[in-house]
Amino acid sequence: MISAPLSRRGFLAGIGGIGAAGLLGACATGSDSGSSAASSTLTLQSSLSDPDPKAALTKVVEGYTKTKTTLNTIAIETFRAQLPTYLNSGNPPDVLTWYAGSVARDYASKGFLLDVSDMWTGNGACANFSPALKELSTANGKQIFVPTNYYWWGVFYRKSMFQQWGVQVPTTWDEFITVCKTIKSKGAAPITMGTGSTAWVASGWFDYLNLRINGAEFHRDLLAGKHPFDGPEVKAVMDHYKQLLEFIDPKGRSYSWQDAVTPLASKKAGMYLIGAFITSAVPADVVDDLDFFQVPIIDPSVPVAEEAPTDGYFASAKSKNPAGAKDLLSYLASAPAQQQFIQLAKSSNLPTSTQVDTSTFSPLVQKGIKMLGEAKGLTQFFNRDSSDELQTTADTALTKFLDKPGDVNAILTEWQASAKKVLGS
Amino acid sequence: MTAATLDPVRQDTVASGTPPNRKRRRWGFHAVMAPLAVIWVAPMVFVLMLAFRSFDDIAGRGTAALPTSFSLDGFREAFGRGEMGRALWISVQVTVPAVIITLLLASWAAYALSRFEIPGRRAILLTMLAGNLLPPQILLIPVSRVMESLGLYDTLVALIAIHVGFGLGFYTFVLYGFMRSLPGELTEAARIDGAGVVSIYARIIMPLCRPSLAALAALATTWIFNDLIWAITVLRTEAKLPVTAALLNLQGGYVSNWNVVAAASVIAAVPTAIVFFAFQRHFVSGLLVGSSK
Amino acid sequence: MTAVAAPARRRSRLRAVPKVVWLFLLVPALVEVGMVFWPAVNSFYLSLTEWNGLGAAKPVGLANFRNLFSDDVFLGALKNNVVWAIGFGGLSVLGGLALAVALNRPRRGVGLYRSAIYLPMVFSLAVTGLFWRVQYQPDGTINTLLGAVGLDGWEKQWLANPDTALYAVLVAAVWRQVGYVMVLYLAGLKGTDPTLDDASAMDGASAWQRFRFVTWPQLRGVNTVVFAVTVIDSLRTFDIVWAMTQGGPYHSSELLSTYMFQQGFTFLNLGYASAIAVVIFALALVFIITYLIRATKEEAG
Repeated sequence: MISAPLSRRGFLAGIGGIGAAGLLGACATGSDSGSSAASSTLTLQSSLSDPDPKAALTKVVEGYTKTKTTLNTIAIETFRAQLPTYLNSGNPPDVLTWYAGSVARDYASKGFLLDVSDMWTGNGACANFSPALKELSTANGKQIFVPTNYYWWGVFYRKSMFQQWGVQVPTTWDEFITVCKTIKSKGAAPITMGTGSTAWVASGWFDYLNLRINGAEFHRDLLAGKHPFDGPEVKAVMDHYKQLLEFIDPKGRSYSWQDAVTPLASKKAGMYLIGAFITSAVPADVVDDLDFFQVPIIDPSVPVAEEAPTDGYFASAKSKNPAGAKDLLSYLASAPAQQQFIQLAKSSNLPTSTQVDTSTFSPLVQKGIKMLGEAKGLTQFFNRDSSDELQTTADTALTKFLDKPGDVNAILTEWQASAKKVLGS
Repeated sequence: MTAATLDPVRQDTVASGTPPNRKRRRWGFHAVMAPLAVIWVAPMVFVLMLAFRSFDDIAGRGTAALPTSFSLDGFREAFGRGEMGRALWISVQVTVPAVIITLLLASWAAYALSRFEIPGRRAILLTMLAGNLLPPQILLIPVSRVMESLGLYDTLVALIAIHVGFGLGFYTFVLYGFMRSLPGELTEAARIDGAGVVSIYARIIMPLCRPSLAALAALATTWIFNDLIWAITVLRTEAKLPVTAALLNLQGGYVSNWNVVAAASVIAAVPTAIVFFAFQRHFVSGLLVGSSK
Repeated sequence: MTAVAAPARRRSRLRAVPKVVWLFLLVPALVEVGMVFWPAVNSFYLSLTEWNGLGAAKPVGLANFRNLFSDDVFLGALKNNVVWAIGFGGLSVLGGLALAVALNRPRRGVGLYRSAIYLPMVFSLAVTGLFWRVQYQPDGTINTLLGAVGLDGWEKQWLANPDTALYAVLVAAVWRQVGYVMVLYLAGLKGTDPTLDDASAMDGASAWQRFRFVTWPQLRGVNTVVFAVTVIDSLRTFDIVWAMTQGGPYHSSELLSTYMFQQGFTFLNLGYASAIAVVIFALALVFIITYLIRATKEEAG
């Protein structure tokens, strides 16, 4: 029983004795012949089910003519749950959408991802990508990921409303608190934040406050379990978080991140710390009025770091056509494909290829590129820098904190205990 | 819909010429039932209204507001980009064979267990029922591996097979109860006339079980048609997803477009509603499980 | 289950079971074994291992089960499941039975009422969850209605409040289930003998007495089905909670099934998740066996 319990042969043996199963098998071979001919076609399994990104990727894939490619879009929740099954199946999808970070590395260490190192050297499609991106895509010395776009996080607001309220973009913590107070005095909720069905949004402020107070280095170590969640550094973070609580719209606790955009768009709320993907969730007439600012500096001596989550593709190690899969990856990573995808998806994402002409992108995106370019350090996001399981401990701790800020010490102790359980296993 | 529910009530109370005591009781009955029925129907009416509102109306005035717009955009989008039409057809292709095969197999098992002295038949019946108690979530990974080793992964046959396997226990249990309640004289006479086991099953037992089969068919249809978890377990090709999984895809993408999601929900519910109302007559006689009639 | 037909049946049975009958039993049994029990055996084996879905599973003995009982989230989910089983099972059975009795006799309007009550059944649980999530929004129908009748003090963030989240989901689940149970009981009531009821009414028995001593004993058969369905549904409840709260806020509406799904499919702790599944299965089995033993005894006695 070393690898036996769930090997294919084990199942076959168990099933083989059953006449009825053979009967069903016979039906299947008659009715479905598509799967055996997989090597001549490629399958791209995508989790981009939002209308615009889905349409964009469909268009991009249509542009790939070398091998017939089927695009399969599956909602992200399902996609995530089924990913091990996809990769483990005898006839896996050749290329899959995913994001850079620990989960991809985890799969790579189990040997489930195709080694695409050759795409990163010579005149490979990823050769001109930045060293930081290369490092992000590396597991055990091999590149297993092809990043094609990334985005920034910032405090989004409506320009017209800031004007109407007579507030300026804040650059320090004190200015930020003053802005919050002013907006509140005008009868609007200063900050909107949808932590109902998308509790991870609460980690946005946590990540940023930690980056601003303790720095990127500490943040990464904290998520790797090298510092405790109930230590003085995290307490300092929570002290700042606590100052925000009176300004956060309490209704956000029932909202998803998308629902929480509505108060911002309808002028009932002032600001929203969220990723650049917000532009796909606001009504078309509001997009031009939308602007963002960098999360204010708290300790000027801490090197400025920003979140820059990176998305892209990896290929299955079991692909029947690895050369074809790499070719498709190269196409997806190419400058024209990146540009086409970003423009059609309307998502304000940034290209990873340096050859994409970004001068035609909107001023908002230009500003995002500039902010990330000036940053001294980049992080991904809480779950991408750690794991989905650690993210759940953060969700529990932070949503509880939003409800009962007075219990912060107990909450942090509990957080540390559950984080230890996750990281220890 | 609300008005339709209330109208007959009003007529009834006005037109009745019954003695005061019964009249008062009838009043009481309707006074309790009418509001209850309205409360029950209200969420559905609400979703129906949501489906016919325009996106701007919902975004501007919230989901709870009374509609000020009428638009078919939700349905257009659900059938168009949401591809609900294709998904509906897939669901039909899965549900119809799955219901027929399950009931056929369950009737075989129930016939064998109820009419013959099979040793340990009660234990067999309970074991089959126990299979239905297994929480499906945890069988997901093993099931997808089984399907793969059979070469069925990502085919509709796999989905049909799993529905058949998972429904058998309960349907056998119900049919067993029904068949046991059929008087033995019926089959005895046929046996004396020389009818074989199979022809007794086909010519006597099955026709008698028709109401029970009809009721179970309606139940099975709602279960199989509304299944989500098995569909996303054994299928991975978007073009093969049945209606509930397509709806999930739609929710992921249209989370703030409530009109599209509501329209798709309504579309997904129509076939089960039709089946349910078509078969509802049979419920009264179909599930007489072991009752002493 | 029926004492009346038993002697007749005994006569009709063949002494030796014909071969074709074995085939009738074997084909369905083997399909179920292949589709349900064989995967289940694999899952039971997995509950004794540590496995992330890739590569080989590592046997760890009973460690998963030991860890379960020091896991606060699991214990909370277990407690919620008890609340759920009582609330969901109790309310839908009582509600369904009461409605079935009320709507049993044909009178004007009954068809409409019945249709209204069981119409929710045609919606999938995920869709039901979605419907109700809209109603429970901070500015949704429920709070708007409460405000309109002057009960603003009762307005709540129903799904975001750890004290109300589980019950808010429960209401939605019961809303859908009641019609289902009602249909089953209506079927059962049609099988009862109306002359008995009328006779006892002539004798001056109250409505309650007639129900308790005349109708109820005749519903034993349908009770078995209702009981089995209710236990199965309440322990397997998943879609509706997942669609409405995903077990949140901070695990306050977590059920065993949602926790298992999270462990298994979000975290890929498949061994641990399998252990939770085994617990669910064991609980269901205890319920069913207890009931069936009682039912068998009653039948024998």
